[in-house]
Amino acid sequence: MTRYVMVADLNRCVGCQTCTASCKHTNATPPGVQWRKVLDVEMGEYPNVERLFMPVGCQHCSDPPCMEVCPSTATGQRKDGIVTIDYDLCIGCSYCAVACPYQARYKVEEARFAYSDGPTENEALRFDERRIGVAQKCTFCSDRVDAGLERGLTPGIDPDATPACANACIANALTFGDLEDRESNVSKLLTENTWFRMHEHLGTDPGFYYLWEEK
Amino acid sequence: MSSTHKVSTYCYQCVNGPDMLTVEVTDGIATTVAPNFAAKGYHPADGKVCVKPYGLVQKIYNPNRVLKPLKRTNPKKGRNEDPGWVEIEWEEALNTIAQKLNAIRATSLIDEQGYPRVAFTTGGAATPYFYMGTFASFLAAWGPVDQSLGAGGTVKCYHTEHVYGELWHRAFTVCPDTPRCEYIVSFGNNIDASGGVTSVRRHADARARGIKRIQIEPHLSITGASASEWIPIRPKTDPAFLYAMLHVLLHERPLTDLDVPFLKARTGSPYLIGPNGFFLRDPASKKPLMWDAATGRALPFDTPGIDPALVGSFTVSGMEVGADGKTWEHDAIEATTAFEVTRRLVAAHTPEWAAPVCDVAAYRIRRVANDFIAHARIGETIEFEGRTLPFRPVAVMLGKGVNNGWGAYECVWARTMLMVLVGGLEVPGGLLGSTVHISGMDFDRMGSVAPHPDGFLDYPFNPTDKEHWAAQPQVRHGHTTLIPIIGGGLTSQLMGSTVLSWMRLQGRAADSWGQPKPPDVWFVYRCNPNISFSETDRIGETMATFPFTVAFSYTQDETNHFADLVLPEAIDLESTQLIRIGGTHYFEQFWDTQGWVLRQPVVPPRGEAKDFTWIATELAKRTGLLEAYNAMINFGAAGLPLKTDAYDFSLDVTRAHSVDETWDAICRAASADVTGGTASDGLAYFKEKGFRVKPFPKINWYLYPRMEDLGLRFELPYQERILRIGQELSARLHEQGVTWWDRQLHEYEPLPTWKDLNELWASAYERAYGIKASDYPFWLLTARSMQYAWGGNVSLQMIREVAANIAGHDGIMINAQVAEQLGIEQGDRIEVTSPIGVTSGRALLRQGVRPDTIVMVGQFGHWKTPYAKDLDMPSLNNLVPMNMDLVDGTGSAVDAVLVNIRKVGRKSK
Repeated sequence: MTRYVMVADLNRCVGCQTCTASCKHTNATPPGVQWRKVLDVEMGEYPNVERLFMPVGCQHCSDPPCMEVCPSTATGQRKDGIVTIDYDLCIGCSYCAVACPYQARYKVEEARFAYSDGPTENEALRFDERRIGVAQKCTFCSDRVDAGLERGLTPGIDPDATPACANACIANALTFGDLEDRESNVSKLLTENTWFRMHEHLGTDPGFYYLWEEK
Repeated sequence: MSSTHKVSTYCYQCVNGPDMLTVEVTDGIATTVAPNFAAKGYHPADGKVCVKPYGLVQKIYNPNRVLKPLKRTNPKKGRNEDPGWVEIEWEEALNTIAQKLNAIRATSLIDEQGYPRVAFTTGGAATPYFYMGTFASFLAAWGPVDQSLGAGGTVKCYHTEHVYGELWHRAFTVCPDTPRCEYIVSFGNNIDASGGVTSVRRHADARARGIKRIQIEPHLSITGASASEWIPIRPKTDPAFLYAMLHVLLHERPLTDLDVPFLKARTGSPYLIGPNGFFLRDPASKKPLMWDAATGRALPFDTPGIDPALVGSFTVSGMEVGADGKTWEHDAIEATTAFEVTRRLVAAHTPEWAAPVCDVAAYRIRRVANDFIAHARIGETIEFEGRTLPFRPVAVMLGKGVNNGWGAYECVWARTMLMVLVGGLEVPGGLLGSTVHISGMDFDRMGSVAPHPDGFLDYPFNPTDKEHWAAQPQVRHGHTTLIPIIGGGLTSQLMGSTVLSWMRLQGRAADSWGQPKPPDVWFVYRCNPNISFSETDRIGETMATFPFTVAFSYTQDETNHFADLVLPEAIDLESTQLIRIGGTHYFEQFWDTQGWVLRQPVVPPRGEAKDFTWIATELAKRTGLLEAYNAMINFGAAGLPLKTDAYDFSLDVTRAHSVDETWDAICRAASADVTGGTASDGLAYFKEKGFRVKPFPKINWYLYPRMEDLGLRFELPYQERILRIGQELSARLHEQGVTWWDRQLHEYEPLPTWKDLNELWASAYERAYGIKASDYPFWLLTARSMQYAWGGNVSLQMIREVAANIAGHDGIMINAQVAEQLGIEQGDRIEVTSPIGVTSGRALLRQGVRPDTIVMVGQFGHWKTPYAKDLDMPSLNNLVPMNMDLVDGTGSAVDAVLVNIRKVGRKSK
């Protein structure tokens, strides 16, 4: 069995948004849609303040609330744990977006472009009509993962089989890999470090782990 | 059938580059930026790039680009004047420029006042040179060019670190030896936002390994977020904290806790100071003397086997050499060691003294000082590249806001002294320089090392003696006349007092020199001084008086609004250039290889944008400079010589060469350079491979081994040369009747005395603007935006979108409790007023800001640049005065300003 997860090391992340930008490039998301982004979080009260940067996006839960509520079976789950959306089946009801405790889903009702005078050439080339009026979110770059696997590459290790955000991360804060493989990069990180998951109490079994050490 | 391929290129949008990337192109359209994974193993951050180059694809297709030359038709220049742009052909544009340039050549390259008639301004700490092809070769062929009309440099840079760092340890910029360092004391050094890919990676790795960093700064920055501890210090009081740290080390710890062998052998600490403040010297050899306890007498510093005294005063004979060759012979006078003089300097600066100054408890200051020394591992060594070196895993870092203007000399000196006291300068784990600009070529830091007769590193000060002093300023800020420490080399102009240039053009500085005329022709490229400098509205008014301005521009902007011609050059992903990579470079690029990387057109240039090399060649042809221009390229002005003893790829100087022909020759020379002359692959090789390198010895990451080999000492603590040069400069200027630089001359102290900077600012404002300083109770500071800094990318929607995820990109950061007291809620509009300007923006309530501080991130305030002008982002720049009282001895000022605030509107619901 395989379960792909992302590990975000909050002690490494500096909030640079390189992952955000690389995701936008690789997945050609329109303005305002960020399948991956990094939150700037401030905690405490002056002068006892902490600030941290937190990469967020679809958590690829093993028990995803979004899938449960989907009336059209558009939201699915692969055997490797990646939560998917079939744009052809999605009816755009947004139940999933409401159900997702991680606010990871977007819906764009009409074509959106960077500048008001229509799509630029690169936007026109990459515009995907199928994403209008349907739910969309991080795919863990499943197309890259699959293409890499076909070539015998290892997701999370070989760039051509790895999500763009993890490839791009300049702090090596994002690590992608197979949780079920005890020897994998992510398994080692989770064994060797303290970690948490967001909204653990909701029982969604998210596939997004945050390494965090108290100062 | 769709086709996709990847193209290798580089990003050098900020000084932390170049970094390598690939761009995916589908059916002739650039789509996706990604790291260059082929660079893994060479590039210290594995071939990754930061967020900025991801904006380059949108930069190509931005509908607001200028894509055809524009000519002004409204002769009236002003912010409220419509330039009346009309599109013209390149032929007309080039001929118009050539006509102006040829008219200058027909008369004189220098105007009646002695200043170059042609000026060139760029920004980004000169990184635009890595985008302007062979234009530098054209300027070199032209002759004298005034580069003193800065775009923010000396106010927006690490100026004092640049000059003193280079003097003391060949450190134009400094960094910790991050991979080995264990404890960093950071005074606002925002490395995670300003240090580029390699710095971010190195520091993330260091945190994973357990490094501790104490972040001392008025607002909790991006870098402060990942620190072990945040100490919110009152703005502009960093010298007091640093001096108190020195006090702890020099007065509360026994001498044996310091690195005594290092101090004795590798510094000027034992040198004896005479009664006139100069080194006491041996009358015969003129060598500085040290006290030898074993023999009970003073001996020259290089006497073999001497064990010099560090502490105390001694009765000795000798001579002093002062300014202008003045000498004093002494017989049995009392002389004190430089170390002892330093101890006395900081005797009163206890942590208890510093606490109310800094608004930081004394125990915290004392703890940081003691932890610093505890982590220094004094006495330990490390094996590095087969050599045993001291291991001192501690560093003190300074941010930009404490690195320029008054107080910066104290900070840089105290920081470097802290490193010296623990023997942590230029050794593994400690504080390192990464590049040079004044004393040598930036790619060859070790090559800049040369001995001075006093046992220190030699340094190319501008002369201050009567015979050689540059009495006539060579450019409008007179850098070789006024500022000895910046030298007179290729890049020295960029370090002169750019504030002085603009103020002189406005007739409000350097009275005795008169008001200079503007340049006849001003070239502006890849910068926007009307946004990025201080008192920007006034700068705009000054630009409006320039007779002929040529802007090479990507979009219309606040500076080219005043231009006569706006010319579209082929941008980052559309043009060709080969530049150096590797070695050591700022801020934290430490490679074990060195070589060359190519920028190549990922897609053809849009519209009529032209490769800068083509533009330079066309200008050379039209101004009769083709032969000289080609000769400059052959000489090495485009990167490296095209002819050496080992190879010859020189261009035929008599004819024009295409862009590809030119860069093919340069690529061939680069191939030969990295292969010892065995390879001669040209442009095609680099287009395919992207880069080519040779090994770089890692021992060259550290200066200490070279200093040890040559028996040299770091010129610390005592600045005898600075004292002498200051006295000579003072004499020269006063002989000329110049008294307007007297305040700056006060900085030429052999040991910098502490100053109350808050008082200095307050009194300067009260003198200049007739205000009560107490009416301006807040410091307005700025902070680096990694997403925007130096990218010229404010018109890119994607950059705006991702940057907005980071606090401060949507308003003015203010302490939440203070905001509440003032009745200001999140999102309310607040007005910020300094004695010279006013701006407004949305209030962003934060906990990580001191109550006496507000912060405006980045450099905004646009009113012309498409897209950016609609962001409603304020800038501090127009609020920061240009004021000669706030310019320090090295010609720099700081972009911080005292302000008041008031609420002017509710957040729109």
